[in-house]
Amino acid sequence: MIDLKFNKVSKRYRVRKQLAQDASSHPIIRKIQSLRRPAQDFWAVRNVSFEVERGESLGIIGHNGAGKSTILKLLANITAPTGGEIVINGRLSALIEVGSGFHPELTGRENIYLNGSILGMRRREISEKLDSIVDFAGVRQFLDTPVKRFSSGMYVRLGFSIAAHLNPDILLLDEVLAVGDAAFQAKCLQRINELKEAGTTIVFISHDLGAVERVCDRVLLMQRGEIVADGSPAQAISEYQRLSSGLEVSHVKLSKEAEITSVNLYRSEVDDFSTFHTGEPLTICVNYTAHERVKDAVFEVLIDTQEGELQCHLTTDLNNKRIDLEPGTGSIVFTCEELGVSPGLHYISAAIIHRGQALGESIDYRERCATFRVDPGKITRGKFYMPFQWNFEPGESYYTEAGVGQEAREIVSPKAF
Amino acid sequence: MTSNSMFPNQPADSIAPRRIKVIRAPSFSVLRLLGDLAILSHYRDLLYTLSVHRIKVRYKQSVLGVTWAVVQPLSLMLIYTVIFTVIIKVPTTGSVAYPVLLYAALLIWTFFSTALTSATNGLVSHTHLVTKVYFPREILPLTYVIAAVFDLLIASPVLLGLMIYYGVPLTFNALYAVPIVLIMAMFITGMALIFSAAQVRFRDIGMALPLLLQIWMFATPVVYPLSAVPERFRSLYMLNPMVGVIENFRRVLVEAAPPNFYEIGISALIALLLLPAAYIFFKHVEATIADVI
Repeated sequence: MIDLKFNKVSKRYRVRKQLAQDASSHPIIRKIQSLRRPAQDFWAVRNVSFEVERGESLGIIGHNGAGKSTILKLLANITAPTGGEIVINGRLSALIEVGSGFHPELTGRENIYLNGSILGMRRREISEKLDSIVDFAGVRQFLDTPVKRFSSGMYVRLGFSIAAHLNPDILLLDEVLAVGDAAFQAKCLQRINELKEAGTTIVFISHDLGAVERVCDRVLLMQRGEIVADGSPAQAISEYQRLSSGLEVSHVKLSKEAEITSVNLYRSEVDDFSTFHTGEPLTICVNYTAHERVKDAVFEVLIDTQEGELQCHLTTDLNNKRIDLEPGTGSIVFTCEELGVSPGLHYISAAIIHRGQALGESIDYRERCATFRVDPGKITRGKFYMPFQWNFEPGESYYTEAGVGQEAREIVSPKAF
Repeated sequence: MTSNSMFPNQPADSIAPRRIKVIRAPSFSVLRLLGDLAILSHYRDLLYTLSVHRIKVRYKQSVLGVTWAVVQPLSLMLIYTVIFTVIIKVPTTGSVAYPVLLYAALLIWTFFSTALTSATNGLVSHTHLVTKVYFPREILPLTYVIAAVFDLLIASPVLLGLMIYYGVPLTFNALYAVPIVLIMAMFITGMALIFSAAQVRFRDIGMALPLLLQIWMFATPVVYPLSAVPERFRSLYMLNPMVGVIENFRRVLVEAAPPNFYEIGISALIALLLLPAAYIFFKHVEATIADVI
């Protein structure tokens, strides 16, 4: 049973560019000038076809501007396609930006009716679910207070609670999981899983690869308005990461001496880099092309989080081994026996510098040229993984009987057994 | 919080046959138009809820509340009465006092101008909704028209009060006011659909509207009777659909005379032609509203 079908769907936007010379002239003249120039076509979605089976959870991932949001808007019927056909079998609800339909002057109760109707619920249906909505959001005592007096947490909870009480056949999810605290996100995921178990077809569009992998059975990867991969979450996510690693996000070419051509990540034993786990081996391979001789070069790899917090710094500057590059290609391989960074999405930046120089004066610097996601492995919580072993010693207490220095080493070795 | 019991999945939903919806590029066909109307009727609860809230929100945190619906036509009536009976003499027909004639016309005119002004901004003032959630967009301007009807109903009893005060008799001819207001509402709905959709692309509409309404009011027999318009301009003048409506609303209610069916017919014909055309235009623009707004 097909619940959702995209048949050769395209969406075109017309872009009229304003030239720099226009800026000085009068707004009306500028408008006329821009109208006289032919509009440029921008295909946000081009010739996209896919089907979603009943009960399936489809994820759509891709970089910004890949066409994810346009697909969502087309599905939600917010904007019409330029060509093609979308067939939707059943009641479709979108859980997009909770609370966007609230009116600040109206009370909580009035807003439940207002927002519920906007989302497509009948008044009768809302009345039946009112108690449950209020309890889930935990705003019973503020039910007759205007929502402008609500705290932002109450606002979000009430918005989500209303949306969560829709009983759609097909559920559209945007970046809803990105808002709210951890408890709220857990609640969201729990509700999504309930709907999934109840046989609801789900379309989930997100940057959060972890959430996509948890929720979805199948993932589409989009790039420049087209589907470039369609398969299991692991396949599509690994393809996404492969595309990301080749992506030149911000390439500061500072000198002609040498450049970094690509950065690849491997797990040591297999060439499968869809997932990395804490405590497992990681190999980072930095490929370069030298255009002339570079004496005493230093390679650096920086790992930071999505928020830009530096997690880790790998450099060849640590021991006194010199690297002199001859013209041609080559690679520097960083091998980490145990991956220490915390679970989540990470970005890799790579640089070639002259020894003693700062990053800003580097020969080549590729900022965020690769991404990789770390899943919980040997640790699930905390900031980083520290290699450790443990031992069970009933009836013994080493530290009180002897000095720490000598005995502490013995704890590590399993001699007690 | 356990939630299994918290979300009763309605069996009615799962048993009910699923509606199949097909989304295509915008095109025009009669079938499509009927489909749009069916969807609109499906969303009638939203139309109702939004209209009620529109009325509630308008008078929230104001001391006078709904009385404001009366204050506007009443104060306009007082101003114009002073201008046109004390300062300048306006010719009036019959024996009915000028304030009553004026209030009756202002009642309808205020309905028209509030509905059109607020509905024109109906779409652009709901950008956050229009770009996030789907519902038939015509609901937004429609709710403003409905809220204006509500204001009209609030302000109407004052007319009765004035009629009693000035000793103007109420006859069965007054019943004609109902179809006249309906024709009026149709015309306003058509205008509201066109203006709100055009406002999305050209904000100039909203800028020009106060001026347009000002000119329009003086081109309509509000402060003066139709008979004051010279005969040779009359046929051109009658093309303004507000003429037949206002003149006859006043005639059946205040002057206790039957309506002039020729005058009313012109207004009705224009409204009948405008409304479907406006709806088609609106639906055509709706397809890409979220991209332009």
